[in-house]
Amino acid sequence: MNADEVAAIIEREIPDATATVTTPRDPDDDRHYAVDVVSPAFDGKSLVDQHQLVHDALGDHLTRDIHAIELTTSTPE
Amino acid sequence: MKAMSFEPEQLSREEAHENVKETIENNEVALFMKGTEMLPQCGYSRKALGLIGQHRDDVATVNVLTATEAYREKLSEYSGRETIPQTFVDGEFVGGSDILERLDDSGDLAETLEV
Repeated sequence: MNADEVAAIIEREIPDATATVTTPRDPDDDRHYAVDVVSPAFDGKSLVDQHQLVHDALGDHLTRDIHAIELTTSTPE
Repeated sequence: MKAMSFEPEQLSREEAHENVKETIENNEVALFMKGTEMLPQCGYSRKALGLIGQHRDDVATVNVLTATEAYREKLSEYSGRETIPQTFVDGEFVGGSDILERLDDSGDLAETLEV
């Protein structure tokens, strides 16, 4: 599963989300991703709940196709 | 003498499930990680251990590699996710290494770990 597919899933599942997915370690490492998601859907949610939204969006892909994600979440300015 | 190997002894599914329940309920700070405190086997687990270690020296660690699937399955009942590592404080899910890092950045980690 490549970075674009990961971003596409997140943007499809989370309302008005902008997802930026990069491989923090090495370019062809397609199992560990740094994922940054900006969406108004995070507004008023705790850090854990914000992260939970992304984990739910990725569903079974997480741990099966994607080994791990380093997640940062925020609401648009 | 059992040969020194990194292949941890495998636990049964029931033992792993019981371990999750018991460790979460009986410890203030619990960290389910890949590897042990002495030999973390994954960068995220090592990062989580380091962040918690700045504030607590009594964290109960569990090496999920002894029954990875069983641990993921049972942990998801408590946290809603299967990724490792997972941190619990007073029985409540706190997060993985990324959340611990965000809390550290915002200066809220000590408070979250109830120092």
